[in-house]
Amino acid sequence: MSDAPFKNPGWAGNTGEFDLTEADVRGTEFVGHRPPEGGHPAAAPSYPYMLADKAPDAPLFEGPYKERLEKIRGRYPNARAVLLPALNLAQEIRGHVSPETMDAVAEELGLASAYVRGVATFYTMYNKRPVGRHLIQVCTNISCNLCGADEVLAAFLEHTGTEMGETSADGNFTVVEAECLAACGFPTCVQINSRYFENVNEADVPQILDRLKSEEGEG
Amino acid sequence: MAYPYRHEKEVRLLSEHFGDLEARTVEGWKARGGYEGLARALEIGRERVVEEVKTSGLRGRGGAGFPTGLKWSFMPKDQTRPHYLLCNADESEPGTFKDRELIRWTPHQLLEGCLIGAYAIGASHCYIYLRGEFFEATQVLARALEDAYDANLAGKDVLGSGVDLDVTLHVGAGAYICGEETGLMNSLEGRRGEPRIKPPFPAAVGAFGMPTTINNVETLCAVPGIVKNGGDWYRQWGTEKSPGTKLFCVSGHVNKPGNYELPLGFPLMELIEDVCGGVRDGNALKAVIPGGSSVPIMTAEECSACSLDYEGVVECGSMLGCASVIVMDETADIVKQVRRMAYFYAHESCGQCTPCREGTAWATKILERIEDGRGTEEDLDTLLQIGDQMTGTTICVLSDSLAAPVRSSIEKFRDEYLALIRRGERVGAA
Ligand SMILES: Cc1cc2nc3c(=O)[nH]c(=O)nc-3n(C[C@H](O)[C@H](O)[C@H](O)COP(=O)(O)O)c2cc1C
Ligand code: SF4
Ligand code: FES
Repeated sequence: MSDAPFKNPGWAGNTGEFDLTEADVRGTEFVGHRPPEGGHPAAAPSYPYMLADKAPDAPLFEGPYKERLEKIRGRYPNARAVLLPALNLAQEIRGHVSPETMDAVAEELGLASAYVRGVATFYTMYNKRPVGRHLIQVCTNISCNLCGADEVLAAFLEHTGTEMGETSADGNFTVVEAECLAACGFPTCVQINSRYFENVNEADVPQILDRLKSEEGEG
Repeated sequence: MAYPYRHEKEVRLLSEHFGDLEARTVEGWKARGGYEGLARALEIGRERVVEEVKTSGLRGRGGAGFPTGLKWSFMPKDQTRPHYLLCNADESEPGTFKDRELIRWTPHQLLEGCLIGAYAIGASHCYIYLRGEFFEATQVLARALEDAYDANLAGKDVLGSGVDLDVTLHVGAGAYICGEETGLMNSLEGRRGEPRIKPPFPAAVGAFGMPTTINNVETLCAVPGIVKNGGDWYRQWGTEKSPGTKLFCVSGHVNKPGNYELPLGFPLMELIEDVCGGVRDGNALKAVIPGGSSVPIMTAEECSACSLDYEGVVECGSMLGCASVIVMDETADIVKQVRRMAYFYAHESCGQCTPCREGTAWATKILERIEDGRGTEEDLDTLLQIGDQMTGTTICVLSDSLAAPVRSSIEKFRDEYLALIRRGERVGAA
């Protein structure tokens, strides 16, 4: 094995350290297409999708999503426990969880509105307001920070022309700072919607943004 | 070479199949000796499974290092109420990145561990609480779980044994505190992830008010091998009090950061110098945080004779935690990093306890001031005082987790703080 520092292409870069494709490393090939109705009930609560294409006014629990919600219900002893999976699902569909969405979830589960708001606002992954098609979360915690995360964050802000937490004029990007994403050995780690980009340097940023712009759908 | 983070000194009990795509499938996992542990567990019965795990000396890999077999034996024997096993896959301690790798490369290893664990404690349902950010890893696990159900490895009458074992994936929504065991239970129940006061302990009153055991991903991943090969087999690695192997997550200023599975008791300097290819750019080592951001920081000198087992690291003035080794070379700015940690804990405090809610925020402000060159020497005393008030006074140990790096860094790297303070004085005078 060579002593040279190496990169992990768990992100877009084809740095060749794995003899696996990016899809293999991410597991997307193995997983295939995940059905909106949730697949097997055991896995139905496990879809924290962050879709690029959001539908802020779409109905929440209809069609396949209704089916998924019913599967989820069957896995827990009470309705309260369905709350987080239901909020996840709502965010998957609408892209953010507005007060109205929280109320709709409350009604569906028979919980008090105030209670649901109290819970939903506790968790950082629920976007309380709309975000760009691509939500870019740059880890600046210690391991990434030691390896230049602040510069990576600055580069994302610069190249998207945004301020932290604001959405770019074309609606494509929102950049925020994140806490440790559990990929500390591959700094800097950046989560973009549902996907991790690892070993990101300042210089990689324009290329990543170009790639995102050219992609459609899930990502 | 499919998985690039490898070294000949590794003992790969859990990580052998990282980067091996076949291992993700039921058939592939079976071909690699998988699910034999589950079959044996069902054959020898719950009590003997617990005995094997006790014999192995396996200790919890989530940070506290509590003996797993002992924890399992606390579960009530009566079967009049549901029991639960929770798998803690909320991995969010800064510096830690092993559970995600275990989940995405060896999902069946984790599922097998969950099934055996649930069976051993008399639970018929295991919830795996995954952090919300783990979308990719969670999907891999979801597919593996579906396959396991199809192969009758989970669900009703597992492998014709008459035992029902369900597993459900549950996804969190971004809160470090949900990794704390009782915070996780509240979150699973659809509440804010606020830790609960103990006692009652989870084995008496846990998830949904029922007897519950909670284990880390890596802990459960170690179980199938132990049950299959026997508890004594596991003891051939590691030390008397810290048996077995551990995934060391090395990050920061080394040439080859990554996950390396080594026997417990492995020398820290050998890990840095040899396994990880040394400190980057040939720089000098300044400091190491050996167990994730919550443990005291160590100076290069303290590292020199440190062996990486639960006892060895304590002797050298820190804790093994989840074996997340954060390496800092001479260029590292200790004050900046401690300030960043303080910000993290202030951000993640659930806010129930005043010393934690106020202490983390206050410490962050003072550290920011010092970093800006507006600090004074008295600020250091204030930080130590706040640290004292934050230690041992709160519901969970998140509060102590900030006090430890703050205190240790001021004690061990006081000069760096003073340099910033004095620089500020000079700038102010000019
Ligand atoms: C603030 C805080 C955060 C924690 N985060 C995690 C975590 O992300 N993953 C984990 O496995 N354990 C975490 N723990 C430890 C758990 O409370 C618990 O001890 C562990 O999951 C038990 O499993 P084990 O016995 O297998 O180690 C955390 C503890 C505290 C106090
Ligand atoms: S110590 Fe902090 S995080 Fe833990 S329960 Fe108290 S306020 Fe919450
Ligand atoms: S510190 Fe950035 S992923 Fe852990």
